[in-house]
Amino acid sequence: MTAAALLQSVLASLPEILVVSGACILLIAGQFVRKGQEDLLVWASVAVVLIATLSTLMLAGEARPAYAGMFVADRFAAFFKCVFYLATVLTFLLSRKYADIEGIGSSEYYVLLLFALTGMMIMASATDLLSIFVGLELMVLCTYVLTGFLRRERRSNEAALKYVILGAVSTGIFLYGVSLVYGLTGTTQLDGMARAVTEDPLDPALLLAVVFIVAGLVFKVGAVPFHMWVPDVYEGAPTTVTAFMSVGPKAAGFAVILRVFLNPLVQASDAWIIVALIAVATMAVGSFVALVQDNFKRLLAYSSIAHAGFAIFGVVAGGADGIASVMLYLLIYAFMNLGIFAAVIMMRNGDFSGEVIDDYAGFGKSHSGLALLMLIYLFSLAGIPPTAGFFAKFYVLTALVERGFVVLAVIAVLLSAVAAYFYIRVVMVIYMREPQRVFEPALTPLVRATLAVTALGTIGIGLFPAWFLGLAQQSVFGG
Amino acid sequence: MTLPLLSLIVFLPAAGAAVLMFLRNDDAVRWIALGFTLLDFALAVAMLVGFDTTTHEMQFTETRPWVPALGITYALGVDGISALFVFLSALLGWICVLASWAAIDRKVKEFMVSLLSMQALMLGVFCALDLFLFYVFWEAMLIPMYLIIGVWGGEGRVYAAFKFFLYTLAGSLLFLVGVIVLYFQGGQTFDILALTARDLPFHVQSWLFFAFLIAFAVKVPMVPVHTWLPDAHVQAPTAGSIILAGVLLKMGAYGFLRFSLPMLPDASLYYSTLMLALSALAIVYGGFLALAQDDLKKLVAYSSISHMGFVTLGIFALNLRGLEGGILQMFNHGVTTGALFLFVGLIYERTHTRSIADYGGLMKVAPVYTAFLALFTLSSMALPGTNSFVGELLVLTGGFAASPAFGAAAVLGALLGAAYLLGMYRKVALGPADARARFKIHDVNGRELVAILPLAVFVLWVGLYPKPFLGIIDASVKHLLVQVHGNGSSP
Repeated sequence: MTAAALLQSVLASLPEILVVSGACILLIAGQFVRKGQEDLLVWASVAVVLIATLSTLMLAGEARPAYAGMFVADRFAAFFKCVFYLATVLTFLLSRKYADIEGIGSSEYYVLLLFALTGMMIMASATDLLSIFVGLELMVLCTYVLTGFLRRERRSNEAALKYVILGAVSTGIFLYGVSLVYGLTGTTQLDGMARAVTEDPLDPALLLAVVFIVAGLVFKVGAVPFHMWVPDVYEGAPTTVTAFMSVGPKAAGFAVILRVFLNPLVQASDAWIIVALIAVATMAVGSFVALVQDNFKRLLAYSSIAHAGFAIFGVVAGGADGIASVMLYLLIYAFMNLGIFAAVIMMRNGDFSGEVIDDYAGFGKSHSGLALLMLIYLFSLAGIPPTAGFFAKFYVLTALVERGFVVLAVIAVLLSAVAAYFYIRVVMVIYMREPQRVFEPALTPLVRATLAVTALGTIGIGLFPAWFLGLAQQSVFGG
Repeated sequence: MTLPLLSLIVFLPAAGAAVLMFLRNDDAVRWIALGFTLLDFALAVAMLVGFDTTTHEMQFTETRPWVPALGITYALGVDGISALFVFLSALLGWICVLASWAAIDRKVKEFMVSLLSMQALMLGVFCALDLFLFYVFWEAMLIPMYLIIGVWGGEGRVYAAFKFFLYTLAGSLLFLVGVIVLYFQGGQTFDILALTARDLPFHVQSWLFFAFLIAFAVKVPMVPVHTWLPDAHVQAPTAGSIILAGVLLKMGAYGFLRFSLPMLPDASLYYSTLMLALSALAIVYGGFLALAQDDLKKLVAYSSISHMGFVTLGIFALNLRGLEGGILQMFNHGVTTGALFLFVGLIYERTHTRSIADYGGLMKVAPVYTAFLALFTLSSMALPGTNSFVGELLVLTGGFAASPAFGAAAVLGALLGAAYLLGMYRKVALGPADARARFKIHDVNGRELVAILPLAVFVLWVGLYPKPFLGIIDASVKHLLVQVHGNGSSP
């Protein structure tokens, strides 16, 4: 590799390098932060992400291939990185008070989140199955640890252990698929695979390889039949980490899925039938099982499974609109899901966990403003206009119908009617029950800021979706 | 640049809702809500005054790009049909505020905010000229209505609110898929007028017809998807019932008029017999159900199903009399049934019972109340001289022309109407005044009278001199018939 090419590569991966360096510095400097000064950690972490955001935006103009075709900084990656930045910054803001209450406010917490962010960024930019694997592992290893961060809680430990074991299996499956691809085509680069497949498009072994790779990726986004870990991990992990995982790593998984599915190899293999089945099954399981949940975090876990199913419908649709619809869906989902998690996190105060749905009974009576915000997030998750959640679903359906998959669109809307039930059930508890207790939500300025940003996104994108839609559509090309 | 009158009409109540959020005093909330709805009504009257009845073209149109990449525009406009319902919605808006003045005594602010948001969305539905915009208004209504029923309703309110929400949502979502299919079939536009001009192949029309039918039939409601209505009506607070009966039910029928008939004319003609049969079924079945009720609100609710059957019968007769009668009947039903729900609400506030058996001899206790009740009861059973007579007569003549058998069934329904309404009136108003012993009933007060009088005026006005009302819709209905039957063969 020549010096010029190396320089180009460094430039293309500048955001990743910045975040990793920032995380390393924080890891050392964090040891010197005294108790009571954790604010410094939050602000330093936020600053790292903001600097990375700036460098990403500066690089977003053109596609820059780097590291001999293993990595690319293009608009597609930039779009996803912005979703990750959003998720990470909001998680930082939410974590400050929550970490105090739970006693997890050490610098490692923030550093691990930054490393996980790096992994997600690499996944979004990776154009080689091996670099995808590196990013994936970096991300999941950090989230394993973060899941178990409540060391004294059995639930948290159990969740982490479960996550590690199942995650390792799925990684193995993914790697096996990669090795098959390498054996059949002689390369692990997505482009190279595309070239190889044009010569012999109907090799059954390739289909098998694709199935393995898909299985590994589907695990990361929590789709059926690899969804079993999601409820336990979401319930056991610290709520801030759950909020982060439900948005960031999930979006990263979709970034890789889209990258792989843009690839003619997969397009040629008729794998969309499998994907369509996965989408239907995922939405069905998520929606129906959520109906009987009493724990809010578990409910949101199944809701996130259902949403993953809906986004996979966009993958099934494929084409420019299909890909853009998934991207827009994930952006909107980031806003509304972080919003509802912010509400759950804010309820955690003193001995009150706010994890049981019935805990919210009569919340609308005493805190009408906060209840209204929750109402907005919940209706947005249910996909009722004029919220952003509706537009996200609408665009996925448009992409489906455009490709002629009307039956799938009908299945999708019927299942989302089922899903609407459990969201409005929470609204019912908030507004139509008598309060059982006095609420003291932990409302710090940082939590307020998070609520404001997410509410603005949820309503704003719903009312004026044109700009965001254009952004997603432009980001498709170049990938 | 002219004044965007329709945008003002649609968003004024929403602005009112936003203002209300910052108030703390319940009385201030009531008065300001009343002020906004009255102002909105004044604007609607101004719109009607400036309305040109000689043309079927859309008037007061506004168009702005919204999501250009998908061909979505913010487009508003009214023709004769929608103008009538904009007026009706604006009228019932402030009547609802008055009806909830004393009836809603907790979370007044939240209630009025929901009520005003609801009104903005309903007006939006009738004004929208873009299918996407229409859908946004249509679906967003679920949120405030769910809250109105679920928070301020009766004992079974939670169940009723869920049932209302899920029924309507399931219907609407299939409609959404239909809308998207229509978008691609009609050349990637959501412009309602442009889509109306498209000539779609019959099999596409058929599929879309049924996708739309599910959504609209749930809203109307037509038998067999009517079961949410009695629950919702009985549990909803008075204002909620008035909105449900007065405006929400109209939206299903409005959907047929705005989408099914002009966009899917071949399918509408082909399936008109099916629709007539369903309408006749609703008329008779709803009538029999009403006959068997011992709860005042349930009785009026089931009578709604029967009366909305007349509306759809008139619409799918697909001739001039039927359509004009159907549309006029939509307006009449809004006024009359809205008034009946108001009356049930008024008496319920005083006695806290809706059971017919608890009442008797009200005439001696509350003469003004019973006099007006008589007027609206007679109007509901379509006595000559009242509004419904004109409407039902037109529907029946149109219905007989289309199908004598279903016309005859409708006549049976009208007879049933006389039976249950007169029976109800006799048990409640006449007889010995034994209710006085149990309840301290006072007659209607000034505020209530203000809410009642305009409705009474419209009952008699339409009944005695319906020409101005038919004049508003005439040009649009004739144009609609041309769209359905093609230029050559207008009956």
